[in-house]
Amino acid sequence: MSDWLPRSAAGRRWLGLAPSYFVIGIFMLVPMIIMGVFSFLEPNPYGGVKPVGSMAAYVKLFFEYDLEDQLVFNPGYINIIFRSFQLSFGATLLCLVFGFPVAYYITLQPENRRNFYIYLVTIPFWTNLLIRTFAWIIILGRGGVIETPLLAAGIIEDSLRMMYTDGAIAIGLTYSYLPLMVLPIYASLEKLDFRLLEAASDLYANRLEVMTRVVIPLCKPGIIAGCILVFIPCLGAFIAPNLLGGGKKLMLGSLVQFQFASARNWPFGAALSMLLLSAVVIMLIFYARAAKKRAAMEGDG
Amino acid sequence: MTTAIDIRGITKIYNPESNQPVKALDDVSLTINDNEFFTLLGPSGCGKTTLLRLIAGFEQVSGGEIMLFGEEIENLEPNRRPVNTVFQHYALFPHMTVADNVAFGLERLKKPKNEIVATVERVLTLVKMKHLGDRRPNQLSGGQQQRVALARALAPSPKVLLLDEPLSALDLKLRQAMREELKQLQKETGITFVFVTHDQEEALAMSDRIAVMSDGEVQQIGGPTDIYEHPVNRFVADFIGDTNFLDGEIVAVNDDLVTCRLGSNSMFEAENSGAHKIGDQVTLFLRPEKISLSAVGATNGQDTRPGKVANMTYLGNQAAYTVDMGDGIELTAQARPQENGKLPFAIGDSLAVGFSARALRVLAQ
Amino acid sequence: MQKSSSPRKSKKILPVGHYRGLGGWTVFFFIFLYLPIVVLIFYSFNANRMVMNWGGFGFEWYLKAFQNEDIQKAVWNSLIVATVSTIFATAIATIGALVLARGGNFRGKTVSLGLITLPLMVPEIVTAVAVLIFFSAIGMNWGLGNVIIAHITFCIPFAFMPIRARLEGMDTSLEQAARDLYASEWETFRYVTVPLLMPGIVAGAMLAFVISMDDFIITLMVGGAGSTTLPVYIYSMIRRGLTPEINAVSTVLLLVSIGIVTAYWVVSKKSQTDTVH
Repeated sequence: MSDWLPRSAAGRRWLGLAPSYFVIGIFMLVPMIIMGVFSFLEPNPYGGVKPVGSMAAYVKLFFEYDLEDQLVFNPGYINIIFRSFQLSFGATLLCLVFGFPVAYYITLQPENRRNFYIYLVTIPFWTNLLIRTFAWIIILGRGGVIETPLLAAGIIEDSLRMMYTDGAIAIGLTYSYLPLMVLPIYASLEKLDFRLLEAASDLYANRLEVMTRVVIPLCKPGIIAGCILVFIPCLGAFIAPNLLGGGKKLMLGSLVQFQFASARNWPFGAALSMLLLSAVVIMLIFYARAAKKRAAMEGDG
Repeated sequence: MTTAIDIRGITKIYNPESNQPVKALDDVSLTINDNEFFTLLGPSGCGKTTLLRLIAGFEQVSGGEIMLFGEEIENLEPNRRPVNTVFQHYALFPHMTVADNVAFGLERLKKPKNEIVATVERVLTLVKMKHLGDRRPNQLSGGQQQRVALARALAPSPKVLLLDEPLSALDLKLRQAMREELKQLQKETGITFVFVTHDQEEALAMSDRIAVMSDGEVQQIGGPTDIYEHPVNRFVADFIGDTNFLDGEIVAVNDDLVTCRLGSNSMFEAENSGAHKIGDQVTLFLRPEKISLSAVGATNGQDTRPGKVANMTYLGNQAAYTVDMGDGIELTAQARPQENGKLPFAIGDSLAVGFSARALRVLAQ
Repeated sequence: MQKSSSPRKSKKILPVGHYRGLGGWTVFFFIFLYLPIVVLIFYSFNANRMVMNWGGFGFEWYLKAFQNEDIQKAVWNSLIVATVSTIFATAIATIGALVLARGGNFRGKTVSLGLITLPLMVPEIVTAVAVLIFFSAIGMNWGLGNVIIAHITFCIPFAFMPIRARLEGMDTSLEQAARDLYASEWETFRYVTVPLLMPGIVAGAMLAFVISMDDFIITLMVGGAGSTTLPVYIYSMIRRGLTPEINAVSTVLLLVSIGIVTAYWVVSKKSQTDTVH
């Protein structure tokens, strides 16, 4: 470019990448390493840590000290973690069941209309999640949009008590991340050659078999990507469990936040974060492997 | 002779409810015989592929009936029609092996396992692809994919095999080799082939009968020589092979010949088709290969007309000459190069142009 | 002749690949997706103190929200954070994208790509915790500065993606043509690459801005007192009790986001047609 730039291609390359490496490296990668270190330290009761090595944070996941100072198994946190996985799994499944037909329907539309539909799918995603989740309180809550007309019509006599339930959290999570399911599935369906569907039907496949034998196997990468994209943020969700679960039905994300905001047990919060992070890493490795296997299987054709 | 497919007054209109409906087929009727290699030939947009897709069931007719061996099928879904298709770009399932692709239709028909295995092996052998059964489609060359597509469509033993320009994606040499093989395969299997192409050479080389289509209508149906030698109209004559068209007026009618006046006052005799009378404005057509060109004075007493080379295009095995016949008449003719490779005539040379009156035919306008 | 009156004729067969009920399912899907937004906006005009008790149509909660000094402060903070983060994130993402899209294949390309998109893959709460711990470990306490740094970090991939997509869709022969016509490397970049890349940069900046404006969890964790942004303030309002004032503020924030994303959509659609021609 100009004289002040390095002449070699490699030099320029690293100069161009340096700011990204610097910012994300210093403010994302290094902090995550420090977080890992913190999870092996002792908590400072006023927040922060004491520079003393300890496995206490990880022990706390499974055990607690009873009145006699004996370690006993405490299923409390394991239950929360298990619940988080359960709810995330449920929400991912709901997103898939709900989103797949929509992605498929959009693919069938003429191109300009397809773009508009995709725009409609993405709009909620770019708007504030907190606000959109808050709206669900108005819909689900006592005296809310769903209950009021039902009560007035005499169909129900008492509040349905939909708020502060696992169901409410699942709806909130599904709602939050639905676009993340639709978009990758749409992306892979869009590349689908519709002549293959005709070929299957020509070869005596009925509508269901066309779907299960051709469409779904061929857009599996999109389905897997969508599931991972939904599952990961569900697992770390904070807003939906907090607003719709009322903070009583904790999930991993809200449990982590609690350790820093109220409980002041930073190492435990860090350990929980590490747990969350490792779940994510495992899933991403799984995805990368599946993608690689598929690429090897289908080559560039 | 049994009728395999009977197309009765088929009309297909795309977007019938929109303000721009497109009529792809207009009241098309034709019959395809059992055990026949039948070709739908025409330029792109003529409706030939639409007709094929209507037979396969990928599109629905707007009107008319399709009978398959006496059964009405136009309201059946594709998976309920005992016909199979070889797609233009093969449409092989990329997530399945070659063998799985071939077995797909048999599995959907719930054939017993051992029968499926045997059939897959048999058809793959038939198309010389048995050794590649474990491969995936993307690991195959275009020609190999073509064979797999053929095997896949043949495996369920369809009553009719539909082929949608299956050779168009292959290169020239392979295409020519595949022509022979396809024709051979049709003979061996005894299955009715309905073959769609825009390549007239392909159609002439392979077909038992050809339907020439244009603008959603069938122009002519007949055997290859029929179509080539006796085209019913200017479109067919023009679309198949190279042709000289000469516009003129009939001035005399004899038993087997008519006399036409071309240009200002040039008289040409042509075969009498019996359909024209004196005073009709007609078009004569004359295939270039039926014109003989010789040097002036070397005509062996043959009846010739004088001409002059106006232009010449060298084509390797022959040269195409544009000959000025005077009176505003031009003819295209061919001549082979001499043994030493020299061309027999040059631009500006005077020639003796010979052709029989039998070679000149009157087209229905 | 025509036997079109036969009952079997009237049966409509769906084309291959089409399924009954898809359209209805999609309508239901979009109702689900947009119902909360519509409800939220609707109740922002509720004149009653309680969100869910309809007390007539009114604008008073908008007025109240605009006059609320805390909200003004929060809006101001949000705008500062979003603007500064957008500028930095977009600049960093642009040069990163130039290298990754135009630098050919080099060792470390995949790693670099992974690093830049890292903030997309890590759950927000983990990012928040990590950054919080980091700032406390090095004892950095710049108030809004901390928030801005965190925002720059996670906005980079959002700015990066449209820029890279634009670069990869761009015809390199245009740059070669410029070089062929005696433009220096710098002139080529300045007069060919940058103008062609501009829609991508604008799109990336818009996305970064929206993402920063909307972020809640990271700001909540990292920001101390005095660096309250609008979403964090809305959260505290929700915890204090539901009033239509929340809806009013939320509606404004919502419409700003929708407006920006719509603009982005129009720009990217235009740039798509540009590339086609």
